Amino acid sequence: MTEEPTTDEQLAPRPGAEQAELAAEIRAERKRVTGGTPDDAHDVIIELDNVDVYYGDFHAVDSVTIPVREKEITAFIGPSGCGKSTVLRSINRMNDLIESARVEGRIAYHGVDLYGSGVDPVEVRRHIGMVFQKPNPFPKSIYDNIAFGPKIAGFKGDMDDLVESSLQRAALWDEVKDKLDESAFALSGGQQQRLCIARAIATSPDVLLMDEPASALDPIATLRIEDLMYELKQEYTIIIVTHNMQQAARVSDRTAFFSVDVNEGKRTGRLVEFTETAKLFTDPAEQETEDYITGRFG
Amino acid sequence: MVDTHDLPQHNNIQTDLRHHYDDELEEIRTELVEFGTMVLTNVRHAGEVVTESILDQIDDVRQADKPINARYKALETKVFEILALQQPVARDLRFLVASTRILYELERSGDLAVNLVKQLDRLDGLPSDQQIRSMLAQLSQSAAKTFALGVEAIATMDPEIGIGAEAADEETDDLTADLYRLVTERQESLGLETSVALFRMGRFFERIADHGVNIAEDITFVATGAFPNED
Ligand SMILES: Nc1ncnc2c1ncn2[C@@H]1O[C@H](COP(=O)(O)OP(=O)(O)OP(=O)(O)O)[C@@H](O)[C@H]1O
Ligand SMILES: [Mg+2]
Repeated sequence: MTEEPTTDEQLAPRPGAEQAELAAEIRAERKRVTGGTPDDAHDVIIELDNVDVYYGDFHAVDSVTIPVREKEITAFIGPSGCGKSTVLRSINRMNDLIESARVEGRIAYHGVDLYGSGVDPVEVRRHIGMVFQKPNPFPKSIYDNIAFGPKIAGFKGDMDDLVESSLQRAALWDEVKDKLDESAFALSGGQQQRLCIARAIATSPDVLLMDEPASALDPIATLRIEDLMYELKQEYTIIIVTHNMQQAARVSDRTAFFSVDVNEGKRTGRLVEFTETAKLFTDPAEQETEDYITGRFG
Repeated sequence: MVDTHDLPQHNNIQTDLRHHYDDELEEIRTELVEFGTMVLTNVRHAGEVVTESILDQIDDVRQADKPINARYKALETKVFEILALQQPVARDLRFLVASTRILYELERSGDLAVNLVKQLDRLDGLPSDQQIRSMLAQLSQSAAKTFALGVEAIATMDPEIGIGAEAADEETDDLTADLYRLVTERQESLGLETSVALFRMGRFFERIADHGVNIAEDITFVATGAFPNED
């Protein structure tokens, strides 16, 4: 092209404080406009290193390595059965609840091996919360849905404050503040899902796992959840499993694409590509990724 | 614990839907080649009219630009519709975005062909200076050749053409510089109006070649995800 696009090099501070300032301003502006492109300044908070998951003899997921960065949204996409939920559940040891499930390899959280001998899975789940596909509030009041977890965990602070701030963060407060005593089931599906997000953050986790959190919601409620995720990533690290590729493209900073190999009738999932979302959806490195995201299968 | 392994498969439907999408994309590409050929034909014709001073064909070049403009609008609408309705990604997205740029480059080249013959019209014929005429003829050939690279790139989707295009364009640049020099030298005998018209012709030929280079480079971007000389 005759006109070169702006490159980082061009933005690199040249001698002179003014240019340096200008470059910083341009970068900040670009970050604002793009909603903050992922940069490697964010530390790795969760590290999946050669993770294999088995259900009994069945090798469900083969050798997955993904560094998850703090305060980013990482999306898992891929065809049904490739092991997205399986990998997600292994991150907060939800797989412990499935008797046949076994995890090999290393999953570290802030450098600590989550499957190490001294680690309490209940404690893990307090730091790494989970939101499910179908909104699953408890058959209790809106207030109690939020207060339940912290109460069990021995929360000693002001419960009213905690309930309010959790609902605020989940962008639900304004809609429910006058009916906190009403049953959670009286809320719409989208509101219930935001309640579940509020419940998940009430125990002050720093990572949120979401397994298709919007697939049961209508388009507007879906966009509200996506918008909420965008707000939440200021404070939390989010990993989302989604079948909606446009959703992964819209909300996430990085995307992991999984595929599944069929061998003698056995289906084993594996990671095909993990990269910045903008790169994955404009110029994926693997043909397999391209075939999947463009809707063409090999 | 939710057991997800018996959820419905989501993928099968998509494959079928994409037949239509594939057809649409292929149609755009075929139409781009046709459109490019249409413009190339008029660019070549304009070059001939100008360098051989064929006054009675000036209007033919002008008329031929009308269907070019109409085709441009129709194709652009088609591309925007696919962008809006199909949520293209990866290579498909690069192709469609590049298509809008290529359409623009082609349409502009069509305008330049008209601008070329306008200069001839204004002069009421080319000066008889043989050296100038032969230099202009060479420039016209060279510009059309470079422009054709762009059309060839669309037809073949070959990224190599874009990688070599900038170098191929040097000849046109050199010839343009030569023409400028010669016209400057002979300014007095040519007269002001003729000199200006010749300068303009030189610039239009040069730009036509640039559009060809840009198109070829766009195709490199579609095929590889990066422009030539970009890391
Ligand atoms: N509780 C379980 N017991 C035994 N096998 C299981 C269990 N859960 C999942 N699997 C198997 O593990 C593989 C991966 O399943 P998983 O649910 O992780 O896939 P997924 O990518 O989340 O699929 P989907 O997109 O349909 O939710 C599948 O073959 C599935 O049948
Ligand atoms: Mg799943």
